[in-house]
Amino acid sequence: MSETTAAAVARSPIAASPATVLDGWEVSARAATGASTLSDETPLAKVLVRAPFDGASRKALGVRFGRTEHTDVGSGEVLLVGSAPGEWLTLGAPGTAPALRTALEERLAGTGEFTSVLDLTHGRALMRLQGPAATTVLAGVCAIDLADTVTPDGTALRTSVAAVVTDVVRDDVSGVRSYLLHCERSSGQYLWDALLDAGSRSAVEVTGFRGLGSAGSAR
Amino acid sequence: MMLLPCPWCGPRNAGEFKYAGEGGARPDPATTTPEEWRRYLYFHANTRGWVTESWYHGAGCRRWLVVERHTLTHEVRGVRDAVQVAREGTR
Ligand SMILES: [Zn+2]
Repeated sequence: MSETTAAAVARSPIAASPATVLDGWEVSARAATGASTLSDETPLAKVLVRAPFDGASRKALGVRFGRTEHTDVGSGEVLLVGSAPGEWLTLGAPGTAPALRTALEERLAGTGEFTSVLDLTHGRALMRLQGPAATTVLAGVCAIDLADTVTPDGTALRTSVAAVVTDVVRDDVSGVRSYLLHCERSSGQYLWDALLDAGSRSAVEVTGFRGLGSAGSAR
Repeated sequence: MMLLPCPWCGPRNAGEFKYAGEGGARPDPATTTPEEWRRYLYFHANTRGWVTESWYHGAGCRRWLVVERHTLTHEVRGVRDAVQVAREGTR
């Protein structure tokens, strides 16, 4: 490695314009003024756990299929998502994936079960649809009942969103409706465009990376 | 919309699932004949009535399901996770 080599910049599949660099990632420099926003959250660390759906690993992780929890497994704040039976998605601050992987492996080591922990950070796209229009916009591109009685805050599910298989995670921010949408990297730009298209009548604006915790969103 | 009730995800659009045909006991690959294997893979009774089928919820929980469905009315009277069915040793 030559000393003159510029630091590598990671890129989301979703094109940012105008762009800036944050934590080694190219992100959007936009700052929305409206209440309903779409932000690219791909820089968040994404680590997947697979384990038996009804055994010791589930107890060790403390989250069942269909629910989420803001917690700390030893690498800082994470959002632990029960994304499918026997499958958990953990989201953490940018750059924390290796530490998160280690922390999860340590937590599962004592279960005696066959488990796998995989860093998917650069293989997936993640975005956040937030604000008063979020429900209407999402309802236009998926067939899930988004009422509080059916899918309250802290709900995780996987379904077809604009014909893309997507993890839908309701993660309200200070009482404001907010959905994280997680899909394969190759579908990221398409899903982003589909959401902006669906949100154009509701004045959904692009805004910069929000992250978990207090980065751009008071919790 | 045609709905299929997933035991994990709740009622979902049938388009989220892959239909994998009529279920049935798989012949032992070690002892089966090519004829038996071909029949197992490709032959169907096409019953007009109650059928036990395999479905895969590819756009949801990604689990294989054993579905008891009426092919005339689309009434579904039982859906279970295929792993749980296998553990119980019944179909
Ligand atoms: Zn399902």
